[in-house]
Amino acid sequence: MSDITYLPGKEPHEKEHRLIFRNIDRKGWNPKIKTYLTEGGYKMAMKALKMKPQEVIDEVKASGLRGRGGAGFPTGIKWGFIPPNNTKPIYLICNCDESEPGTFKDRYIVHQDPHQLIEGMVISAYAVGAHVAYIYIREEFPEAAILLEQAIAEAKKNSFLGKDIQGSGFDLEIYVHRGAAAYICGEETGLIESLEGKRPYPRIKPPYFPAAIGLYMAPTIVNNVESLCHVVHILRMGGDEYIKLGTPRNSGTRIVCVSGDVKNPGYFEIEVGKVTFQELLYDMCGGPKDGRTLKAVIPGGSSSKILRCNETFKIGRGDDAEEMTFWQLPLDFDTLAAAGSMAGSGGVIVMDDTRRMSWILNNITHFYAHESCGQCTPCREGSTWMKKVSDRIEDGKATPNDVQVLEDIAYQIDGKTVCAFGEASAWPVEAMIDKFRGELVGETSDDNDTRSAERIAQEQFLSSVPQ
Amino acid sequence: MSSKIEAPRPRSVDRSKLSYVSTSAPKDSEVPKPRLIDRSAVEYIRPVLTVLEKNVHSPVTPGVVHFPQFKITPALEKAANKRIAQYPDDQRRSAVLPLLHEVQHRHGFISPESIEWVANKLGIAAIKVVEVVTFYPGFRQKAPGKLHFRVCRTLSCAMGGSYELMAKLCEITGIDRSSADTHKDPISISPCGSYSVEYAECLASCGTAPVCLVNDDFHEGVTPEKAESLITQYES
Ligand SMILES: Cc1cc2nc3c(=O)[nH]c(=O)nc-3n(C[C@H](O)[C@H](O)[C@H](O)COP(=O)(O)O)c2cc1C
Ligand code: SF4
Ligand code: FES
Repeated sequence: MSDITYLPGKEPHEKEHRLIFRNIDRKGWNPKIKTYLTEGGYKMAMKALKMKPQEVIDEVKASGLRGRGGAGFPTGIKWGFIPPNNTKPIYLICNCDESEPGTFKDRYIVHQDPHQLIEGMVISAYAVGAHVAYIYIREEFPEAAILLEQAIAEAKKNSFLGKDIQGSGFDLEIYVHRGAAAYICGEETGLIESLEGKRPYPRIKPPYFPAAIGLYMAPTIVNNVESLCHVVHILRMGGDEYIKLGTPRNSGTRIVCVSGDVKNPGYFEIEVGKVTFQELLYDMCGGPKDGRTLKAVIPGGSSSKILRCNETFKIGRGDDAEEMTFWQLPLDFDTLAAAGSMAGSGGVIVMDDTRRMSWILNNITHFYAHESCGQCTPCREGSTWMKKVSDRIEDGKATPNDVQVLEDIAYQIDGKTVCAFGEASAWPVEAMIDKFRGELVGETSDDNDTRSAERIAQEQFLSSVPQ
Repeated sequence: MSSKIEAPRPRSVDRSKLSYVSTSAPKDSEVPKPRLIDRSAVEYIRPVLTVLEKNVHSPVTPGVVHFPQFKITPALEKAANKRIAQYPDDQRRSAVLPLLHEVQHRHGFISPESIEWVANKLGIAAIKVVEVVTFYPGFRQKAPGKLHFRVCRTLSCAMGGSYELMAKLCEITGIDRSSADTHKDPISISPCGSYSVEYAECLASCGTAPVCLVNDDFHEGVTPEKAESLITQYES
């Protein structure tokens, strides 16, 4: 492994632990199967095909792998949810819709190392018993869709896909399905509806997992690109060895993507929970730009709650509780949840002291107003209202009461919607008001008139009518 | 005479004069058989708007000259059949998105005729294709420019200067974005039809902000200063 050289300027940081991104930005690397095979590619798929499916699932369960798509649900357990008496075909779907703002990890896997994903899918499909798998890729990756189709054709030629893979008797076909620029297609049931050729309206839960009823009403496993790639490494290392990476309950490595106001933004594959924000933002990303200080950080994609850089948190329960500053927080699922936010998709967005919170809030509310699918009222109407009220604050035309109004709207969406988009749109607003209320209220004025033109005309008319 | 307006009296009708009131039960042979309506004849007399005519509007734009008009060709049929084969036989509807991509890739946008073709190809009602076309921002209902710029407007790119990049692109190409609407009409086209711009949401490359797509090519680190060279590199 030590003989790997990377492109100049793209070398991994010494605190990184590269599994999934081992071949990203590597000198002399290309997405061809020949290159992948010289590095022992598809060996793990062959190993898996000689095991029993249940053994593969047990290995993944033992590894403690948690999904990297956003919710962080244990992958092995999810695979176990397929009804045992099922008679329908089982489908595997790879969620490559990567559209959570701040996240840019799957992009590099599918552009530079597509065979790693295909190998992960062969293993996963074998484990869950799927013979047809789809890669749902977002429309804005046109090049990757072509690359993936080429890679699939190559793999088929080499009998790593198709009928009777390498004489094992296992059949698998993988197809690429392109989305059409809608964020909600990342939500797994929305994705399934979209794959069925409909509008991507997320399905009403329960069933909570498409493993019970999914694509074409058959059991379906939906996993993120990164989660599926981890399966290859779990088989290579063995579940018991893999779980030693990272921290208990937060095993393995994960890719964090840093963007915004730091000197060297980029992607870093770290052991989960082994790196703190101090190390990530200062040692790995070079700290803030010259003459500035860091103000706030969104830790897991724009849907997660924002954290102030000067905050302290109480992590842990009862007597074990520990005071931690923001800088001491390790990046893992449980600590970030305890800090009131979430690790989400690993997209860290950094803001420095030159950023106005009203502007940030305005940008985010525009995103959610644009991407709400419109199926349920609290989210459809609420996201648009939040956009309008935040427009007003950003334009300096709001009254102090508008901040309260905005907060009320957010709490009326949260928990009252068909899918988790409701929370995704409400949480950032709730957190930003909670943590920067003073700043937001400071941009409003009691003198502003927020009445609409119609309302003013109506009031004038009513006051002119003699009683 | 009083000025009071009188309520009109109910008119007495001579029922016997009405042809449809029969005084005696008709014989079986006289009962008219329900007639099957010949729809083509009806439409001939009173044109009925089809779903497509009612719901699909494809305004002609200056960009239309850059794209061939929709035509069913053997190549298109072949590509479509390959896509349809990806899905189970009883789930042809799944191929809606792939087929629309095939059409948009070749013809620049989704026209009413192409919707009809997709619907026929998949054996589904046209409205089921229309609902998909109108939902997804990835499908256009009017021709864009020869070079279509999709600039990311989400947080990291906005912090990196994508609003300024958009303003610069509009300035250079002479595009007026004032009537653009994120939901109803996101695409703005230059009068010459060579360029069009649109805001996209996070293109998943936030670390190299600001980013944009030009047709199918991805460009990263496109600061506003690079707008000029971004355009000129396509002009040669
Ligand atoms: C609004 C919304 C958007 C989502 N977007 C994505 C996405 O872009 N990519 C992704 O992998 N998962 C996304 N998810 C999470 C998926 O629903 C699902 O949990 C995930 O694909 C499961 O894979 P995992 O178990 O491997 O994490 C999204 C969820 C929601 C509620
Ligand atoms: S919460 Fe929003 S995105 Fe989710 S189903 Fe409801 S309207 Fe659609
Ligand atoms: S914000 Fe522009 S690519 Fe993510």
